[in-house]
Amino acid sequence: MKHKQINYSKTHAKYLKKLKTEKIIIIFWQIVVIVGFLGLWELLSGTGAIDPFFFSSPSRIVQTIIELGRTGNLFIHMWTSLYETILGFLIATILGVLIAILLWWSERLRKVMEPYLIILNSLPKIALGPMIILWVGSGTGATIVMCVLICLVITIISMLNAFISCDNDKILLMKSMHANKFQILFKLILPNALSDFISVLKINVGMSWVGTIMGEYLSSKAGLGYLINYGSQMLQLDIVMASIVLLCILAGGMYFMVSPFEKKYKRS
Amino acid sequence: MESFLQYKNLSYFYQTKESEIHALNNINFVVKQKDFASIVGPSGCGKTTMLSLTAGLLQPTDGEILLNNKKIEKNDSRIGYMFQRDHLFEWRTIWQNIILGLEIQKKHKDEKTLCFAEELLKKYDLYNFKNKKPRQLSGGMRQRVALIRTLVLNPTLLLLDEPFSALDFQTRLKVCDDVYQIIKSEEKTALLVTHDISEALSMSDQIIILSSRPASVKKELKINFQGKTPLEKREDKDFGKYFELIWRNLS
Repeated sequence: MKHKQINYSKTHAKYLKKLKTEKIIIIFWQIVVIVGFLGLWELLSGTGAIDPFFFSSPSRIVQTIIELGRTGNLFIHMWTSLYETILGFLIATILGVLIAILLWWSERLRKVMEPYLIILNSLPKIALGPMIILWVGSGTGATIVMCVLICLVITIISMLNAFISCDNDKILLMKSMHANKFQILFKLILPNALSDFISVLKINVGMSWVGTIMGEYLSSKAGLGYLINYGSQMLQLDIVMASIVLLCILAGGMYFMVSPFEKKYKRS
Repeated sequence: MESFLQYKNLSYFYQTKESEIHALNNINFVVKQKDFASIVGPSGCGKTTMLSLTAGLLQPTDGEILLNNKKIEKNDSRIGYMFQRDHLFEWRTIWQNIILGLEIQKKHKDEKTLCFAEELLKKYDLYNFKNKKPRQLSGGMRQRVALIRTLVLNPTLLLLDEPFSALDFQTRLKVCDDVYQIIKSEEKTALLVTHDISEALSMSDQIIILSSRPASVKKELKINFQGKTPLEKREDKDFGKYFELIWRNLS
């Protein structure tokens, strides 16, 4: 931090200090919220004000996680869900962008497909669940298909919108310099849609977890969704809560892996 | 008189869902080489259509446009187009923006054209900004970059579609002057479309006034200020006289 050696004026130093104080206050309250929430939860279940059988408690969740970790199954469940989500996320994002490019390329195809895209977008994909199981069988495959279905249509629609919202004069400019359609695509349309692509990535992180958990609810032998389902059927709310906590950690981690891209590209 | 750019009985109709619109009707005029010509006319009279036809982006319904006695083709490489806004690509540096056209035409590895591009940058005080992004430049500088981006392709005819309309008044006068100097020193023929009479007057050797739709040539004016710059012209005693003449023909 070289620039710290510059002598700032008093008012500027004051301003910087204010910014810093504000940041500390925010972090302080963020800690208060989580500690308060967990503390209250622990207290209420410990004193019996809420039934720990139905509501579990932070200490029981930690215990459950340790226990699951010791029996070894925990990592299998986490890995299964993570693997399904990442694969579904990648397939849906890549396929969605490719289809969007295709639809951008051919205006006629776009117009033909438009009503079907709208219907597919409003259709709750979970309704297709039983069919997916019949076609690809239950397990990891079905979950990935569900995950892809949930992310795919929204990716196509968002990316297509980004592509066709490109300023027409910019396209004319490219044409006046004799650009062919490939050049317009690679030198203008795609870089122009980069910030929309990053938004799509962020949305898809969330959506792919929805897909994975839904897929695992429907039919699975492993995964956090399976564990949640299993826990609730066995009336072991500790397992349910522990799975949700782990899910939060994984989904949050994946989101934070995408966000550096946003910082890097969204400003330009 | 040697005619460089020639409009011969040019007519244009364009189609909409509701009807067919007669935009241009039998337009005839010529522009000399290295002259700066402006087209003025009431709004919606088809000025931009004229430019699109001249750029070869549209094909005339009737008549023809000749450049150096050769018909203008679709995407004619002899023509450079400057738009209302600079349309610099934000994800490219100034240098990358300038060589965009060269990249498209696969000339970006040709030493001579790259040298020419660098020369232009140096000549017009943009060399130090070579590696900056467009958003770090002022509106006037951006418009100069846009002009150089067009010039590196070495067009013989430059088309300008109200290239200053997005700038504030102060910048506009300055950029007007800059662009004029650049075009004159690079010895380009230019055709400007504008609704701003004083802008047309301060830049042009020749002004073509169009009537309202279907547009035809209402009046042609030769302007002579004995080689003054646009800013100087604005202060000339004849400026007001010309202005009134054009204004009366427009309304």
